Formats: sequence, structure tokens, C-alpha cells
Amino acid sequence: MDNKKEGKLLEVKDLKVSFFTPAGEVKAVGGISYDLNYGEVMGIVGESGSGKSVEAYSIMGLLQSPGKVIGGSITFEGEDVLAKSKEEMTDFRGKKVSMIFQNPMTCLNPVYTVGNQLVEALRAHNKDISVSDAKKRAMEMLELVGINNVEKRMKQYPHEFSGGMRQRVMIAMGLICHPQLLIADEPTTALDVTIQAQILELMKELQKKTHMGIIFITHNLGVVAEICDKVSVMYAGKIVEQGKVNDIFYSPSHPYTNGLLRSMPRVDAEEYERLIPIDGTPVDMLNPPEGCPFAPRCEHCMQICLRKMPPYFELGDGHRSACWLLAKQKSESKEAESNG
Amino acid sequence: MDNNIKRPKFGSLQPDIEDLLNLKPEDFAPASEEQKASFIQDRESTSYWRDAWRRLKQNKVAMVALGVIIVLILFAFVGPMIVPYDYDEFVSGAENLYPWHYSLEDQRLIESVSGNQEERLAAAIELAEAEKGSALSSIELAKIKAQITTTTVDIDEFIKENGIKYKAFGYSVGELERKEAGESVFPHVFGTDRYGRDNMVRIMIGTRVSMLVGICAALLVLLIGATYGSISGFFGGRVDAIMMRIVEIIYSVPEVLVVLLLSTALNPALLAFQSSGNGFFHRAVGVLGPNLISMFVAFGLLYWVTMARIIRGQILQLKSQEYVTAARALGASSGRIIKRHLLPNCVGQLVVTTCLQIPSAIFLESFLSFLGVGVSAPMTSLGSMAADALKGITTYGYRLVIPALILSVMILAFNLFGDGLRDALDPRLKK
Amino acid sequence: MAKYTLKRLIMAILTLLLVACLTFLLMNSIPGSPWVSEKAPSQATLDALNAKYGLDKPLIVQLGKYLENILKGDLGVSLKMQQNRPVLDIIKEMFPVSAKIGVFALLWAILVGVPLGCLAAYNRGKWLDSLLRIICTIGVSMPSFVVASLLLTGLGGNDQSMFPTIFKASLGVKSYVLPCFALGVYPMCYISRQARSAMLDSLGQDYIKTARAKGLKNTAVIFKHALRNALIPVITYLGPQIAFVLCGGFVVESVFSVPGLGRYFVQSILNRDYPLIMGTTIFLAAFIILMNFVVDILYKVVDPRITLEEGGN
Repeated sequence: MDNKKEGKLLEVKDLKVSFFTPAGEVKAVGGISYDLNYGEVMGIVGESGSGKSVEAYSIMGLLQSPGKVIGGSITFEGEDVLAKSKEEMTDFRGKKVSMIFQNPMTCLNPVYTVGNQLVEALRAHNKDISVSDAKKRAMEMLELVGINNVEKRMKQYPHEFSGGMRQRVMIAMGLICHPQLLIADEPTTALDVTIQAQILELMKELQKKTHMGIIFITHNLGVVAEICDKVSVMYAGKIVEQGKVNDIFYSPSHPYTNGLLRSMPRVDAEEYERLIPIDGTPVDMLNPPEGCPFAPRCEHCMQICLRKMPPYFELGDGHRSACWLLAKQKSESKEAESNG
Repeated sequence: MDNNIKRPKFGSLQPDIEDLLNLKPEDFAPASEEQKASFIQDRESTSYWRDAWRRLKQNKVAMVALGVIIVLILFAFVGPMIVPYDYDEFVSGAENLYPWHYSLEDQRLIESVSGNQEERLAAAIELAEAEKGSALSSIELAKIKAQITTTTVDIDEFIKENGIKYKAFGYSVGELERKEAGESVFPHVFGTDRYGRDNMVRIMIGTRVSMLVGICAALLVLLIGATYGSISGFFGGRVDAIMMRIVEIIYSVPEVLVVLLLSTALNPALLAFQSSGNGFFHRAVGVLGPNLISMFVAFGLLYWVTMARIIRGQILQLKSQEYVTAARALGASSGRIIKRHLLPNCVGQLVVTTCLQIPSAIFLESFLSFLGVGVSAPMTSLGSMAADALKGITTYGYRLVIPALILSVMILAFNLFGDGLRDALDPRLKK
Repeated sequence: MAKYTLKRLIMAILTLLLVACLTFLLMNSIPGSPWVSEKAPSQATLDALNAKYGLDKPLIVQLGKYLENILKGDLGVSLKMQQNRPVLDIIKEMFPVSAKIGVFALLWAILVGVPLGCLAAYNRGKWLDSLLRIICTIGVSMPSFVVASLLLTGLGGNDQSMFPTIFKASLGVKSYVLPCFALGVYPMCYISRQARSAMLDSLGQDYIKTARAKGLKNTAVIFKHALRNALIPVITYLGPQIAFVLCGGFVVESVFSVPGLGRYFVQSILNRDYPLIMGTTIFLAAFIILMNFVVDILYKVVDPRITLEEGGN
């Protein structure tokens, strides 16, 4: 829309989040790092319980007790998010970073009109804006996200909207203060497939118009391919592979990423190509094992994997992966080198 | 590579594996399936009941409540065996005792000052006459009389000044004398009532009655509610719709009114029945009393609806699960499915609802007894004791306070224990 | 909405009919007739009774007659408590006192209970929450007669105490304080417990997450978004509480010697004044059922979701 800023928007470094439950400490996020530039769209992929949403909530400062950030840093536009006071965080949410959630059916308050909730979001951050101006802005936003008959829609209650429409309202609400970053936590999971496509299309379009950054949390690689510039694959609280969309899709190097890709239906598949599910269930986060958390489900599992968490191996231009297979390849190629 | 020390690139996460880890080729050997399986240390899986018991034990409030319940049970059931008085025994000379007493010497001391007013009056008149040497005029007499009555020693003051202290428990004068003579006399721990009945034993019996009524009523509710609810839930469809309509109607009937009505109406009939013969049922009516019976009738008629609703909901939910379909496919009969598959699975809910039904039954029983339509005399209950105590409330406040407190503590303990049980048996419900 | 109201209304009428029939049948099962006192009535009286209640006709006809009389507003006459005074008359005289006490008791219970419950939910897990929970659990474990008589013991005999323990109409508001307090303790604690769990439930909802993510202040999140939703289920608990307050009134009025319908009803039971018992039962039952009906409808009105679902059909 306005001035297109360049450079780093968000930098997350070695973020660790734990839940202190009566049964013990659950390391929901165990040290993840990534950065996001202005106008960039990043996907975070992983199965449920892998810590994707927890990570997003920590950026928003929405972690509820017993969850706690226990290490690392989050820097947004050069400011340390974790050091902000409660009041500063209140102002930060919605204005700088917005978030939309998985289930649009339950995310709008059933007892207030949609207009009321939109205006409220705007006036939370622009105290001097008059109610009528705020209403005008809210209607503009609703039109922007493709809702017709806004005048009437503003006065309706959430239950009078369909799921897709509600998600549009949520997006309008998220964007009403022109945030630099939108965190979308599985925004299409609860919707019908056709509606999913519409919402994705809308988000892509809006992203182009507003040049905002998006963190797109999903377990659906198809959605990632559709909208993201880069991808982080999470497993058991750790990023196991990270890179540009093309790197991840065409040269995945982590067995888990590979598994995800194989379990995804493809339109261009050969006739007899089968979908291969990943066997087994994720590890118990209450006592995470020493080694690589994916080891027990991994077809290439080696002795070292059971003992040590692999470090990241750089594979070029932001593409990195945490897997011992890469060390094996490296030492093999080295051996071949020395032999030859 | 001429330089042996490799410096990692700044900002790169690329580790120096060779130096860092000294990996050997055997590290890259594939891991066996067993190794992979044993890799995850599974948490010990425990059975539902053991797990529930563990959670219950961790809940301190519930455990204290359980302790209180056990103490109350001992108090109500073992207590009357220890106390040598009967709940309907009139101990002569021990009427209206407080739960405390003065020792015999103290009593004599107090008597010496308070004395008998008339005696002191006569002594004073005698003295004045001796001084004057003639009979006193009526004005003089009135003066002396007024003086004597106004100068009565303030007994409270006197007691305080002489450091006379209450001793715990109530004894009548006769009992104190016997005690002095070396006999062992069981004290009236909570005093006695105006007929000289030992309050403690009455409270014990009252607690027993309240508790038994609560538990029996809860079991009755369980029996009827669970049967009705499981039938309704299991058959579903039309049957369910009709049965639930009935429940809805009964649910909105004001129960207390109907209970009062029942006890009014059944009372004459039951009394007539009781005096008509001497069979088992006649005697049973005699023991329970017509009011208690009408209360149970009311429980059987009205109070099971909540239980029925809960059970029905559980059954409906469970019915859709595969194992029921499987049992059906194997040709199991409906009765068998209810008994073998459905009921065991809602047993947690049953236990919790039954347990929470006990305090509400005690609540109702005490309410009715307090109004005078509960347990019939000479049998007693905490509610009727409280009602009796209202008459002498200014002087004998303890008669009301003790049963009222025991009643409240009992209900509280059952409530807390029920809550704890619910949290333990159904962690999902925990807020 | 109209359909729902109609359905509820029919259920309410059915319930009332059930209570009326139950009352009639129970009273008829008493040896002798509920309409006749122990003294043998004169032939003229019997004739009059037969004309009015059809006592010589079969039971079902009597029931019909009885229901017809109720509909006409004729609840019979008191036999023992007040010779031959119409029951409806007695109710008209006594009920306003009971109603006043009930309304004020419930009012303070709601006004204190709801905020306390919300406060506890907001401070969940902290000491304030634990304290309030303990108090409220104790409160729901004390029958109202215990509260009332403990108050009486505490203040009994002390004529100088601020509030009289024996009801005197001449003292006005002061006389109402103790009965209202005693009657309100249980509903207050009950409502507070319910409000707490409703509030916790509401605070755990997704729309609260949305509200926080929008950058709303904590107060706005709590008062605008959580509270309104938490209050809706609390309304449903009012119905049973109205019944509780009315019936709890029997005891509290007796303890504080309030000349209300509750105390009178208890006395009529102890004196076996059958027409009075029947009339009062039907009246109170009708009142309770009506209140439940009103609460049900109110619930639907307050919650916008349900209005549409019904209207959309």
C-alpha cells in the first residue's frame, strides 16, 4: 500500500518455550531460530503438538500460564518483544502484529455484532477516531475482504455468517490497523476445500496490496506451496528443516520433510503413485529423548541418531537441515575424496 | 587444507562436525527396530481406577474431607456404644445441663454469696429489729428489702474475682457427688436437654439418622435414575423422546412442596397401617416413622431425574462407540450390552453423582425435620434437634449450635469429597 | 422463538396439571375428606360441599370439579387456621411479605454472588480464588435454617442489636435484614460458584483469544467479552434458586417469626388444615413454574445465537 520497507521485520533466535505442568516441564518449543523480511511469507509446517502455535503465541505475548518463554529472543523491527511491558504488549498486538485463528466459528464473540467487534479492534489503537469514521473504515475493510452488502452485514451477529465469511471477517479485523505482520494459525483448516482456496486467494491478494509479512502456520504442505516464500518444518518443538519453498519441495533433505511430501496428494502424480504415511506417533514431550526426536519413526535411523540431536547443516542460501544423514553423506564424500 | 584450525563462518550455524564429534563409521550404522522402539521411554500406563485413586490421594482437600467423614461415621455408629446413656433415656437430676460445670466446692462458694435472698432478707430484718428494739414499720421494711435486692452480689463479678473457672463437660450435682465418692461417671459432653437426655448421644443418633437417610436416598436415586436413564438412552428414538418429556415435566415440579404434601397425606395412612398389625412391614414403618417413608417416596418419585439425565447422556455418547456396535454385531442382547458394556463405562459418573446426591439428601432431611415433618419423636435427627433448641435459644444456645455445626460439617465434607471424586474420576471435568 | 415459547408454555401447563392432580389425589387418599374437619358436619354443610366439590360423585368427576374451581380462582376455605376464610384471601394477605423477602434475598445473592464468582475466576489459582471457593463451599453446605438459627443465637436476646430477630412490621426495612440475609446465603454462594465456572469457561473460549490478539485492554477483554457470555448461563440457575428461596422461606420465616405465607404454610401442615395446604401448594407451585418459564424465555432472549436458530427454522 504505502512505503515498502526492506530488510528484517522479525528475528527469532533460539526461542525456548516450556509448559510447567504438574506432571513436569513440557518443552513445547526447544530452541528455534528464523528471520522474516518485510513483505515475506513464511510457512511453519508440522503436525499437531509440534509447537507451531505455541511459537506464534509467544510472538504475540499471548502465552497463557503455565506456558513460559524460558530462553532466546524475539526482535520485531529492532525492538525486543520479550522485554516489553504488559501495556506495551497490549498496544503491540493488533497494531504491529495481528493474528487470525484456526476456527472462525468460535473466534468471534457470539453476543456482539460483527460491526461492533471490528470497530472495537480499530478504536483499541486509534483512540481519537470517531465512531462514524471507525464504522466507515470497518465497512471498507469488509469490502476489501470480499463481503457484500456491508451496511447490513455490520449489524449482524457472527452466527449469521458462514464459516468462510467469518474467516473473512477475522482477516478484516486483523488488518484493520495495518499491521506489519500477520500470523495466521491454520486459518483454512476448519473450512471446506473450496472455501479454503478462496481464503488463500484472498490472503495472497491482500499480501500483495499491503506488503505485510505473514507467518502461515499449517500442517498442509499444499497450502504452503500456494502462498509461502519460505518454509520452516517443525517437529517436536524443533525446526528440522528450513529453506525457500523450492528447496523444500524439490530437494528436501530431512526424512521428515520427505515423509510429509510423500504423504501429500499431488495433482501431477503418476497414476500408481501411492501416498505413504509416516508411521508411528510423535515422542512424549514430557521426557524428550536425548537424540533426534524423529529417530524412532525414521526409516534411515542410525546409531548416532539415538544418542545425539543433530546440528544444522547448511545446504546453501538459507536452506538448512538437522539430520545426521547429511553428516554421513559428507564423511562418505570425504572418504571417497581421500580414497580417490 | 593447510590450516588445521578451521574457523566457522560468522553467523553460520554450520558446525564443525569432524572436530566436534569425532564421528566413527559405526555411528552411521543403521539402528534396529528394537533400538528404535526402546528409544522412547513410555510413561507407565496405569489402570483407570489406580490413576483415579492416585489423583484423589493428591487432592488434600478431598482427603481431609474423607477423614472428616470417617470421623463422623465413627462418631455416629461407634459413639453410641461407648456413651452409657440412651438417646431416649431421661437422666433424672441432670436436666438442662450445660456442656460445662463448676466443681462442687465452687458451686458451694457461689451459693454462699448468692445464697437465698429470702434468708438474707430475714437475717437483715432480724438485725435491724434488734438494733431498734421494736417491730419495723412497713416503710422501713420496704427500705431494707430494696437494699437487699439491689445489693445482691453480682455473681458474674464474684466468679471473676475469685478466679472460679468452668470445667469441661456437664455433670449434675448428683453425678459430681458420686464422682467425689470415687465412682466413675460418664460426663454429659454436650450437656443435656430439658428432659435430662444426654445431648451427645442424641447428636450421635441424629448424625446417624441423617447420614443413613442421605446414603439410602442416594442409593435409591441411583437405582431408579440409572435404570430409567439407561433404558431411555439405550433405546433412543421414540422411547427416548417420550421418556425425556416425562423427565422434563418431573424436573420442573417443585420438589419440596411435593415432599411436604406427601408427608402430610401419607402420615395418617401410614399411622393407620402401623397400628393395624405387627408384621415386618408394620414394624418397619414404626421404626422409620411415616415422615421418613414419605421422604423416601418423594426421592423415588422426583429426585432421580438429574441422575437419569446424566446417565442417558453418557449412554448416548457411549452408544456410538465401536465396541458397542461390535457387541451388537456379535449378537449380544440389549440387556447384556447395557450391563456389560455401557454401565461399566459410566461408572465414574454414577459414583460422582451418587456421592454428590448424599449431601443434598441430608440437606432435605434436615430441612423437613426442622419444620417438624421429618423424623418422628422419640427418634431424633440433627434438624429436629436444632428445631427443639430454638425454644431455649437465649440460654441454651449450644443446643442449637452443636447439631447445626455438625450438620454443616457433614454436608461440607460430603460436598468436598464428591468434588474431589469428580476431579479424580473425570479429569476432563476439572476446571 | 414463538414456537419455543409455545412449547415451554405447554410444558409448564402440563407440569402444573400434574402437581394439581397429585395434590388432589394425595389429599383424597387421606381417610376422611380434605374438605371436612373432624367434627361431623351438618347435613346442610354436606349438601353444600357436595354441590361444590361433588363429593358424592366418582373420583374423576371430583378431580374435574376441583380443577374447574382452581381455574375460577377458588382454592377453598381454611378449616382450622382461620375458620372459613377463603384460602386465596389468606394467600393474598401473606404472600407479599414472603415475596418481598424472597426478592431481596435473591437480589443481594445475585449482586454479590456474580461479582465474587467473576473475581474468583479472574484470580484463578491464587489465594483469593481459594478463599472464595472455601467460603462458597461452606455457604452451600449450610441449610438456611442453620444460617438463620445461628444468626438468632448470635444476636438472640440482645434487644440492642441493630436488626430485630423478631419480625415487626412497624420497624420497616430493619425487620427484613436478617431474614433476607439468612435466605440469601445459599443462593449467593451457589450463584457465585456457577458464575466462577461460567466465567472460566468463557475465558477459555476462542473469542477471548481473538480479543486479546486485537490488542484490547485486559479490562475490556474481561468486562466486555468474557462477562457478557458468562452471565448468560448464570440466568438458567435463577429458576431453581427462585424455588429454593420460596421454600427456604418456610424455615427462615418460622425462625424469625415473619408473618409470611411460608410460615403459615408450615403451621397449616402441622395443624392439618388440608384445604389451606392444597391451596397454598398449588399457588406456590404455579408461581415457581411460572418463574421457571420466565427464566427460560429470558435466557433465549439474552442469547442472540438461539434466537436465530429458532427463527431460522
